[in-house]
Amino acid sequence: MPQQPALLPTSDQPTREVSRRSILKFASLAGAGALFAPALAACAGPKTANTASTAGAGAAGGTLSIVLNRNLVSLDNKLNQYDAAVTVQRAVREALTKIGDDLKPELVLAESFEQTKPTEWTVKLRSDIHYSDKSPVTVEDVETALKLYFQVKAGYVASQFPEQPSFKKVDDKTFTLTTKTPVVTLNSLMSNILITPAKDNKAEELSGGLGTGPFVIASADSGTGTYKLTRNESYWGEKAKLQEVNVSYQEEEGARVIAITSGQADVIDTITPESAASLKTNADIDVIETPGTRLIHLFYNFRKPASSPLSKPEVREALTYAIDHDSLIKALMNNQVTSAEGVVPKTLAGFAKTGDYSYDPAKAKQMLAAAGASDLKLTFIWEDSEFAGASRVLEAISQMLAAVGVTATLKMIPKGGEINAWRRGEAGDWDVLANGYGNQTGLALTNLQGQYGGTAEKEKTRDTYHGFVVPEITALLDQAGAEADEAKRNDLLKQAQEKIWALWPAMWAWTPNNVLAKRKRVTTLKLRAINSYDLGSVTVSA
Amino acid sequence: MTTSTNLPGRQQVPNLSEVPGSILGRDSAVTKVLLRRSAAARRARYSTIKIWVGAICAGVVVVPVALAQLLPLPDPIIGQLSESSLPPLSAGHLFGTDPNGRDLLSRVLHGGQTSLVIGVLAIFVSGLVGIVAGAAAGYFGGWVDTIVSRLLEAQMSLPLLLMLLLVVALFGPSIPVITLVIAFAQWPEPARITRALVLVEREKPYVAAARVLGLHRISIITRHLIPNILQQVLVVVLLLLAQAVLLESALSFLGAGVQRPYPTWGGIISDGRELFVTGKWWLVTIPGVVIALLVVGVNLVGDGLRDRVRRAKGEES
Repeated sequence: MPQQPALLPTSDQPTREVSRRSILKFASLAGAGALFAPALAACAGPKTANTASTAGAGAAGGTLSIVLNRNLVSLDNKLNQYDAAVTVQRAVREALTKIGDDLKPELVLAESFEQTKPTEWTVKLRSDIHYSDKSPVTVEDVETALKLYFQVKAGYVASQFPEQPSFKKVDDKTFTLTTKTPVVTLNSLMSNILITPAKDNKAEELSGGLGTGPFVIASADSGTGTYKLTRNESYWGEKAKLQEVNVSYQEEEGARVIAITSGQADVIDTITPESAASLKTNADIDVIETPGTRLIHLFYNFRKPASSPLSKPEVREALTYAIDHDSLIKALMNNQVTSAEGVVPKTLAGFAKTGDYSYDPAKAKQMLAAAGASDLKLTFIWEDSEFAGASRVLEAISQMLAAVGVTATLKMIPKGGEINAWRRGEAGDWDVLANGYGNQTGLALTNLQGQYGGTAEKEKTRDTYHGFVVPEITALLDQAGAEADEAKRNDLLKQAQEKIWALWPAMWAWTPNNVLAKRKRVTTLKLRAINSYDLGSVTVSA
Repeated sequence: MTTSTNLPGRQQVPNLSEVPGSILGRDSAVTKVLLRRSAAARRARYSTIKIWVGAICAGVVVVPVALAQLLPLPDPIIGQLSESSLPPLSAGHLFGTDPNGRDLLSRVLHGGQTSLVIGVLAIFVSGLVGIVAGAAAGYFGGWVDTIVSRLLEAQMSLPLLLMLLLVVALFGPSIPVITLVIAFAQWPEPARITRALVLVEREKPYVAAARVLGLHRISIITRHLIPNILQQVLVVVLLLLAQAVLLESALSFLGAGVQRPYPTWGGIISDGRELFVTGKWWLVTIPGVVIALLVVGVNLVGDGLRDRVRRAKGEES
């Protein structure tokens, strides 16, 4: 047996003590932790709900931070008039009239706005009004503004007028608006024509420029939808309470909720029922709800050929019985919407109750079978985020239709304008459109004429509401639009609404409440039914 | 005490410890502990651990997803509105339900089938295209190499996700389109590694011998070169599976995935993200954890296998 060699001394043997490698690893971890910990902490989520808003820290009068759900691409409304945008647009530019809290027209830049003849309105401008640079508002500015609203292509506001009024100057402050047929609601319709100096106005959306409103534009970036408004110190009326308003947009609902809970935003609007329920539990936030004037409906495509089952009113009616709207309202809409009882929201002047949507799947099956449409296949389209929880609602509806033997294909159209091509039937075929129809005049007539006042002439250029052309209804609406007597007008509107309802133009329709969340430091914010508020009267506490 | 190895039927091997001057006659300073703690042994251990941990992580996801049709799960598309937004561990709903009352476990597993089918098909196509193009570029060289290499560089210079969104927008979202789009996006990776490996292999004597024997060039590539490099390339292709699943989820998240109401992981997360802040954390967190488990698992397995292949190659040489 060979002799055992001397082993290494104990001190030279490797031990399980801390090695250089371990020290280096530990040092690296510690270094990384020290480096990234602040960043990770910042990303961890909203600050505590009790954190004071940073938006208000600033000049006297206070600063308000509004985070919209859609990009405010301009401070003009020729093309872009979704509800929340109106609030900001009217803080800079004003119209001759505005729609008040009771949905009635009120005078703004006009001293008087009177129907002097059945087809003629005489308007007198206030003598004390001027733009933020103190230049006067002239009748030429009004004439140019009106003309340009009708020149802009696919203008939303112009489409609400039955015809373009002709303009005639009487004197430096007075002019007349004349139409071929009487338009008794012209004073309401003119509330959407925002006035800009004629030399600066163009047949396109304006992101900058002068206005007569209580705020002036300090900076504007239409690409990012970021605007900074400051108080118009030379405002002709009562000056705004706020010194500064910062407007931005955040499409992501969750991010907007985090913005308001963390104090980064003071006001967010048009929020989903789920977010509203969650925000109501926050002690620093008020959630305001008012009945809305926006109608959301599942509107049938009236451009289908006569051979299509959807061209039969009984098939359209049968499909309405497949929708369990009570469950939808409770589970997906948090009881913050009202099922329609007619063809326009009941908040509008001139609304007539024509019926209710009811849920009866057995009747739906029976009627579909009787009409030979048992194996119906429908394609639904909607624009992304057209209304709160749109995808969830439509997925639930497709299940309900499946229960009565109808196969639904869901096609969400991404934002970016393509929906207009789909609506006009240029991008592809569809059967049902899930769509919201806003109202800024408070009048049922505006909705009815915009949706159901189509003519064969308009349909040639696809300018009707998805092919709905019924001459009898159009004639009734024209008659109502020309009727000066309110009772008679409402009677005509009622007849028109009953005839429309009998044609079952929508699978289901509902009116969501306007829901706005504000931090408690924001006071005197009065949300109107048209889902906008007067920024000039908003105040914030320190 | 050392002994000679005298096995019956074998030539007698001398006991080296008894050979004069042999170091084996004494205990080595390189102890078993030191060997175990050596860098090579640590790498071997780590690769085994990676493969096991990866296989467990991926298996936890893949096995239930593969068996989703056999498991007693509710329909992933049809739900009860009366069971809207139930939290996890509710009766009959292990992962809870979404706002439409649909079982989230069922949606995650069925959605996983879509994601995995797209991922597997995509890496199959991209692997095939990549290996063929890379082998041709590496073996033939010249203008073939120039064309393939420039194509690779051109594609790799494009922003991947934007390109995918553009193609899906042009051709519409469907499983074949999304699969082909992801496959197209991923072929450069296997093509590059194949080309590099073939460049090395084609200079080896066995390839020269095959050439001398008069084998056709295609036969040399398919019968000799590719089998020799396949193991290493497959590891890279496996790693692409995780990327393919992530890409599919990203497309679904951005609304360019498979159409509603069929579930996909990205789609489930996209739908749940706005509800996350309202306290419905499970709609985003659970599918997110599932994706993370699969991606981490597949990457660990691929990483472990790559270490093994490298070691095997090293030992061979």
